[in-house]
This record gives sequence, C-alpha cells and structure tokens, in this order.
Amino acid sequence: MEPIGIFILAMVCQLYSCASNVSDSVDQMSYASVAGEEYLQGEKIVTNLEDKVYFDFDKAILDAKDKGLIDEYLPFIEEAKIVRLEGHCDERGTREYNLALGERRALEVRDYLIVKGISGKKIRVVSFGEEKPLKRASNEKAWSENRRVEISLY
Amino acid sequence: MNKVFVSLNTVFLIILFLTLIFSVYSIPKLEISDEETIKINFYELDQIKRSSKNSSSFPSSKKENFDKANVNKKIDDSGTKLKNQKFSIDKKDIKKEISKIKLSKERESIVRVSASIQDKISSIWIKPNSLSQILTAKVLINLAPSGEVFKFELIELSSNKAFNDSILITMEKINFFEEVSNLDRNLFESNFRNFKLVFKSSGDIE
Amino acid sequence: MKKTIAIVFLLVSSNIFSILEIEILKGSDNLSKIAFVPFGVEDDIDEDYGIQISNLIEKNMLLFAEFENLDKSEMLSYPAKEEDFFYRDWKVQGVDFSLIGKINSLNALGNLNISYSLFNVNRRIKILEGEINGNEEDIDRISKIISNRVYEKITGLKGIFDTKLAYVINSDSNTYQMCISDIDGQNEKVLFTSKSPIMSPDWSPDRKKIAYVSFENGFAEIFIQDLISGKREAIQALGMTNSAPVWSPDGKKLALVVSFSGNPDIFSYSINSKRLIRLTDHYAIDTEPSWSPDSKKIIFTSDRSGGPQLYEINTQTKRKKRLTKDGNYNARGKYFPDGRSIFFVHGNNGNFQIATKKLSSRFIETLTSTSLDESPTISPNGNIIIYATKDGANGYLGGITLDGKSRFSLPVKNGSVREPAWSPLAN
Repeated sequence: MEPIGIFILAMVCQLYSCASNVSDSVDQMSYASVAGEEYLQGEKIVTNLEDKVYFDFDKAILDAKDKGLIDEYLPFIEEAKIVRLEGHCDERGTREYNLALGERRALEVRDYLIVKGISGKKIRVVSFGEEKPLKRASNEKAWSENRRVEISLY
Repeated sequence: MNKVFVSLNTVFLIILFLTLIFSVYSIPKLEISDEETIKINFYELDQIKRSSKNSSSFPSSKKENFDKANVNKKIDDSGTKLKNQKFSIDKKDIKKEISKIKLSKERESIVRVSASIQDKISSIWIKPNSLSQILTAKVLINLAPSGEVFKFELIELSSNKAFNDSILITMEKINFFEEVSNLDRNLFESNFRNFKLVFKSSGDIE
Repeated sequence: MKKTIAIVFLLVSSNIFSILEIEILKGSDNLSKIAFVPFGVEDDIDEDYGIQISNLIEKNMLLFAEFENLDKSEMLSYPAKEEDFFYRDWKVQGVDFSLIGKINSLNALGNLNISYSLFNVNRRIKILEGEINGNEEDIDRISKIISNRVYEKITGLKGIFDTKLAYVINSDSNTYQMCISDIDGQNEKVLFTSKSPIMSPDWSPDRKKIAYVSFENGFAEIFIQDLISGKREAIQALGMTNSAPVWSPDGKKLALVVSFSGNPDIFSYSINSKRLIRLTDHYAIDTEPSWSPDSKKIIFTSDRSGGPQLYEINTQTKRKKRLTKDGNYNARGKYFPDGRSIFFVHGNNGNFQIATKKLSSRFIETLTSTSLDESPTISPNGNIIIYATKDGANGYLGGITLDGKSRFSLPVKNGSVREPAWSPLAN
C-alpha cells in the first residue's frame, strides 16, 4: 500500500511543479550569474556528511542505501533555504542523452525529498550530463564515481 | 505397435523412392529459354572457399542458392542409401546416378574456377565507396582457352559513372585468368569462353 | 525437388543458351595511386611555386587517407603539357591517375593562369582538364578548387576540401572553447570561451551561424552565434534544460529538446516567429533529434523501451517508428545525405562505437573499433565520418571512410577535443 501512496504523492508534486514551471524558470534565472561557476548567491552550507548519491549505468533509480544516506542528510536539507541537485553521468554513451539522464537522476532525488516533506519550491535541479566528471579516467571505478547527484545546500 | 512402425518406415522409403523416380523422369520435360543463365553468386563462392578451409559457420542470411546445393547433396546421399538397401535398382538408374555425380563434379570445378576469377577481380577492383544505393554493372568477357582475356565489354552500365569507370580500370589491369587453363576443354567452351561478371556495389554483404 | 534437378540440368545444357554469371561484391583493400606531378612554370615564375601548388593539392587529396601517392622523387618524368605525358612512365610505377599542370604569368601584378590535366593511366585517357585565373597569394584557394575537381572526377563524389569543422575544446584549466577551423585543421577560430561546459554545435545550412548549448548561466541554454559578426543570441530560456539544437535543411527551424520540469521532449522551433511546436510527448527521455534531408522526418533517441533506441517521427503526421532493435544502446542517430541510411552510436558489450544501418534493413554494421566513440558527423558528400574518441583522458577526433578502408585522426590540440560538426558545402 505504501509504495502506491508515495507514487501518487510524487505524481501530485510533479503536476504541481509542472503548473508552476514558468515562474520556476524565471526564479532560476535570478539565481544565475554570468560569471560561470557561481550560479547561486548566498553561502554554501558545509556538513561533514556524504552529499552525493551514486547510480548504476543508464539508470536513475535510488536504492535503499541511497535513501538512507539522504535520510541522514535530511535535517540539514530542511534547514537550508535552497537545495541544489546536480545530476551527472559517466563518459559512456552519447552526450545529449546523458544530459537528459543526469536530469532524470536529479529529479529522482528531488521526488524523494518532496516525499520526505521538503518543499519543491526551494529545490533547484540542474544536469551537466557527462560534461563535469569528478574523475577523468576511463575505468569502472571512475565511472561509478561520476554517475552521481550532488546535493548542495545554501 | 512395432508393426505399425515398420510399415510406416516402408511407406516412407517407398515415397522416397517414388520421388527419385519422379524427379528422374521430370528431367526431359524441362524447357530452357534463351534468357536463362547460371548464376554463381558471392555466397556460394564464399561457401566453397570456406568449406575448403573446413569451416562450416555461415551467416544465416541470403544463402538460398547454397541451400539448394545442399539439398542436391542430400539427394545424392539418399540415392546411395537406397542402393545400399534391399531395393533393386536397374542399370539405367545407376547410370543416372553416375552422371549426376559427374555433373556435381563438373559444377564443383566451375565453381572453383569462378571463385578464383572472383578472387582475382576482388583483389584488383578499387570499389568507389559510400554508395548506399545498390548499383549493378555487367561485363561480358571473351577468353582464350589459355585464360587470356581477348575482349571485354561493359554491357550493362550502372547509373554511377565512377562505379563504371572503376570496373573498366579493373578490367584494363587484367590480362589473364590462370585457373581457366587447367579446365577440361568442354567445360571451358561451355562456360568460360564467354561469361559475364556482375559487379555490385555495397549493400548486400557483410 | 524438381527445382534442384533443374539446376544440375541447366549446367549440362548450358552449352548453347545460357551464359555463366559471376557476381563480384568485394573490392580490393588497395587504394588508388595518384601521381601529383610538380606543375610547370613559365620562365619568370619561381619553380618552387609549381612544386608548392602540387604539394598542396597532394596534401588535400591525402587528408582522409583515401588515396596513395607517388613520391615526387620516384617519378620518371615531370611533364607539364599533354604532349610530354607518356602513359607507360606511370603505368610501370603502378600509378592509376596522374595530375599535371602549368602556371602562366598574366601580368606583372602576380595574376596567374593555372591549367591542369588529369589522366587515367590504366585506360590511357585524359579525364579532366581545366584552368583557373588567380593571384599568387590565392594558392590555398586555387589548390582547393583543383583538389575538389580531381576528387570529384576520381570518386564521383562531391569534393569537400573547402568544408569546415566546428568542435569544442576542453583544456585542463576547465576552460571550454567553441571553435571552428578549415577541414584540414588550418585557420582555427575561437568563437566563444567559457568556464562552463559547451555542447552540441550544429552548422546552419548557409554556414553563417552555429547553434550550440552553453551552461554559462548555470543551466543548459541554446545559443545561436553569427560567424561573421560574432554576435551571440540565446534562444529564450524555455525549460530547465534546453539542448541538442539542429538546423532544419531549409535553415528556418531548429529541432531541439526542451525539458519543462524534468521531461525532455522534441520540439520544432521556428527561428523567425520564435514559435515552439511539440513533436513528442512521452514520459521517457526523448532527445538528440536530427532532420532527414527532405525535412519530412526527424530521427531521435528515446528510452521509452527501457534503454536508448532510435526512432523517427514524421513531422506532419506525427507518426513514430522504431528504427533500431539490436543491442541495448543505440543513440544520436543522423541520416546520411541520401536519406537511405542512418549512422549512430552503438553500445555493445560496454563498447560504444559508430555504426551504420540501412533504413530498409535490420542489420547494424559497426564502423569503428575503439571503445568510447561518440558524436559522429558525416561529410556533406556522405563518404567520411569524423567522430570523437578517447585516448586515456584526452579526447581527439578520428575519422573513417564508410567502406572502412581508410582511417585517420585529426591533428592533436591542446586539450580534449570533442563534438565535431562537419559544415555543409559552400553555397
């Protein structure tokens, strides 16, 4: 019964965010700056907890371990004004497809946060596809570290 | 139960036998029209080359012609089996069998020489690439029994000039088909005195 | 059974009526050998100039490793006129084609008349002759024109020596540059530099603009940059991710991908009216659109079946068709210039390679053999594919002719080169 409930809730949230999408993108613009890397004003909140979740190749599904990790992080997320989710992929496969896949991954995390009671309004989602790898090597280890969503709080 | 089995078996053998008789009788009824040609295509030649290397793997597509050759062989096999069994076959049939075996040998040498011709041309023909439409051009070749090329003529042109040119260049480079000189004279006259090369652009293979 | 006997019978009775046909499908792995003879010069022109122009043509023609050349030092003669050209001199060297030429001075201002002839050595005929007037300094342009004509005569395909390439360079310091250069790597020009990633360049059909994706404002946005003025214009931010712009063959529209709050779909964007028309509407990822040459269809990647596969959509009827079935990763498809085949990235056992497929057949043929190949782009004559691949952490551009006979790689740059986009032909 519970998974269905979560699913319905997620769908409702998705619908809600669809409806408010225009204002959303304008919102995003106001946080952007021309200088490149500094998209967000305000100070980044630093914690000593793991702020990345990792995914399987060509997948955008959170497993129980990832969810546990996010749950631990939750008190900080609740405190933050802005939650930024940055989706990434490994270098394999095509770039544009990976851009979409990175977005899927970030959205998966967003949906989970919304289920956990975080307001969708303060979540920013962005995908960099395979453009910003953590590790530049071409091996399984580097790839698994690059398939990630980074959560940053402001 | 056993009886049923045995009689079924007999019926089966009788049917086999009848088909053999039938097929033998069907030979004279065939008519040949002027347009009919023997076509030895790439797949068949390729198979001959492969089987000589004792490899039997073969891609599943486009091998109808070769399948036919297989069937042919099966008939020969079943023929031999029949002889080994208790059925009596008159001398006429045995002659037919022998001539059939002879024919398959002839066919084999035709295919062998064709394969060597094909190899030689393939090693020289610089095929223009990137032609995703299927082009075909035919060359009529006139040989001496020694294998020397007397004359060649592009009898069917493709729509692509570079493709036609590449064929003419290839033919200019070839003076001899060595394997032909080893052929039986009759076989030469009937098959290789005049023959056609069908050049095809990419697409069908690989 | 009747049929099988018929075949045997045909063999015996073939004496009179039938004729043996042998099918030839395979070509040789050899390349045509071309002799680029130093061009002759009139008395008052430097002899080096004749050598230089012949060298430039030679360099162009060998750019994609499609031909072999005869070294100038091995030539038996240096004919400049047809009367001095003897076929046997070239036949003995195994030369298939021979290019000769002559440079005449028109006046003291450096205006030249350059005449040239191309011979088919095997068939012993002249297959091309022409002349160009130009200035001494125009040597690059002149040699490209001659190279194009020679290439066209020998291959039957359009010459591509005056095409250009767009690509993205990512140097170590996390600097991203949108660049263009001539196809031989000369005249590189940086269009735009950013600290954030740049993706997906695509040439407008008139070669005057380039559309690409830039993250300079923190999310994926589409920009159109004018190559003459250098002016950049963002397509008004549409959704949270905007990507994969590709020009329609008439240059009036862009097919692009917009993700309104997380669901990427394909849209057609009219450049003048700025109107957006939705083409796909599916909860799966739809991305990497590309127009068919007749503009009637758009190929795209979708994971609606569970993994990325290629589909095409008719832009009028909106009817969709799945194009690939074999393999669990087929993406970034584009049509060949003749519209009959497609090329794309094919993932197989963890390797990602460039593959082709005829629309009429099911069979996928892989072209490349390295394992991280992506972003294939085809020459306007449909004969050569340039793609991005990796050597360690460094990206470089490789190339291959469609028959797989010739492979080459483009000159190494400072930094990782990626996302090549081949320009259309001039005009």
